[in-house]
Amino acid sequence: MKLRSFAAFAGALAITSAAYAHHSFSAEFDGTKPVRLVGKITQVQWTNPHSYFYVDVVDAKGAVTNWGCEGAGPGALSRRGWKKGDLKIGDTIVVDGYRAKDGSHLVDARRVTLPDGRSVYGGTPGDGGPGDDGTIQGAPQNSGPKK
Amino acid sequence: MLRVWFVSLAHSHLGQYMQTSKWGFAIVETVHLLALAILGGAVLIVDLRLMGVILKKESMRQINRDLSRLLLGSLIVMIASGVAMVSEEALKCYYSPAFRWKMALLATAVLFYFTFHRRAVLRQSEDRRFTDGIVATISISLWLGVGIAGRAIGLL
Amino acid sequence: MPTLQHVCQVIYDSHIGTAIRESDYAFSIIESVHVLAITLLVGTIAVLDLRMLGLILRGISVTRISKTVFPFTWTGFAIMFVSGCLLFWAEAAKNYSNPAFRVKLVLLALVGLNPLIFHTTIYRRVHEWEVLQYSPWRARAAALASLLLWSGVIVAGRAIAYF
Repeated sequence: MKLRSFAAFAGALAITSAAYAHHSFSAEFDGTKPVRLVGKITQVQWTNPHSYFYVDVVDAKGAVTNWGCEGAGPGALSRRGWKKGDLKIGDTIVVDGYRAKDGSHLVDARRVTLPDGRSVYGGTPGDGGPGDDGTIQGAPQNSGPKK
Repeated sequence: MLRVWFVSLAHSHLGQYMQTSKWGFAIVETVHLLALAILGGAVLIVDLRLMGVILKKESMRQINRDLSRLLLGSLIVMIASGVAMVSEEALKCYYSPAFRWKMALLATAVLFYFTFHRRAVLRQSEDRRFTDGIVATISISLWLGVGIAGRAIGLL
Repeated sequence: MPTLQHVCQVIYDSHIGTAIRESDYAFSIIESVHVLAITLLVGTIAVLDLRMLGLILRGISVTRISKTVFPFTWTGFAIMFVSGCLLFWAEAAKNYSNPAFRVKLVLLALVGLNPLIFHTTIYRRVHEWEVLQYSPWRARAAALASLLLWSGVIVAGRAIAYF
C-alpha cells in the first residue's frame, strides 16, 4: 500500500507539465545537470500553481542538505490519483531530476526510481524535458542520471 | 495535424532558440497576452455593434474598417508569438487535447470571420437583421473558446 | 516581522486563502477569469485611447466612444478586482516579497491616477474637441500613458510567476 502510494506520488511529482503553462523547462531547469536525491520528506506544500516537496538529503560525510522538488499543481496531481495527505513528513523517497539553472537546491523531478529498482517515468509526452521522446514511456534509461 | 510538422518546428532555428533561451518564452508569451487584449477589445466592439447593442447610430462598415485592421494586426502578432511558443514545446502541444481544441476553434473562428461574419458586416443596407445577432454571438463564442482552450493548455 | 508582512501572512494562512491555494480547480478558474477579463478591461479602454490618438474611428466623437466603452471597461475592472483579490487572498505572503507584484501595484495606482487627472482637467472641456480627429496633446498624452501603463500592468502581472 505504501509502495503504491509512494509510486503514485513519485510519478505525480514528476509530472511538472502544468508548470509549462508559464515557463519552459529550459528556462528554469538545466537538462545537463541531472541529480538523484534520496531523502526524508521535511515539508509538503500542496499549492497552486505548483506543489513543492522538500527532502533532507544526507551526503557521504553525514551533512544534511534540504532540497526542494517542484511538481504539478493539486488539480493535475489529483487527476493522477494523488491527494493531499498521501505524502507524510518523514517518508523516504527517491527523486531523479534536473537542477535549477540558478544553482539553488531545487529540482524538477522527471524519473523516479523505486527502492526495489523499478523506475517510473513521470514526464508528460512531448513536454520538452530530458527523457522525453513524445511517448508515454519516455526514452530508455539513459534519460535519467547514471547510477 | 502531422506529428512531423511539430518535430520539424522543434528542430528549427526558432525552436532551438526558444528551447535554450532563458527569457525567450516569457517575452513571447507576454507579447501574446498584450495582443490578446487588443484582439479581444476589437472583437467585442465590432460584434456588439453587429448585435445592435452599441453605437447604433454609427455605420457598421465604418466601425469595421478600422477595427478589422486592429483585429487582424493583433491576430497576426498572436499567431507569430504562438508559433514561437509551440516551437519551444512542440510535441507537448501536439499531444495536448487543449491545444488541439484551441487550434480547431481558432481555425473555425478565422474561417467564420472571413465568411459569414464578413458578409454580415459589409452588407450595404443598414437594417439590422435577426441573423446579425446570431453571427455576432457565434463570433464572440468562438474567440472566447480559443482563449479558454489556450488557458487550459497548461492545466490539463 | 513588519506589520504589513504580518497582515499578508494572516491573510495567506486564513481558511479561505488556504482553500483557494490548495484547490483542485478554484485557483485555476479564478486565474483564468482574471487573465481573460483583461480583454474586457484593457481591450475596450485601448479603443478609446487609440481614438484619442487619432488612429481609429476618427469619424466618431470621443464622448460617444467613451460613453460606449465605459460600461464594459468598468465591468472588466470589477471582474479583475474581485478575481485579483481572491488570488491575493491565496498568495498574500508570497506576493508580499515578490518584486513583480509590488511593481504591478504601483502601476495600478498610476493607471488609476491617470484618468483622474484627465477627467478633472482637459476632459472638462471635451465638447470643444470631441469631434476632432486628433485630440488635444494633453488628451493624447493621457491616452498614451494609459496604453503604456496598462501594458506595464499586464507585463508585471505575468512576471509574478517568475519571482
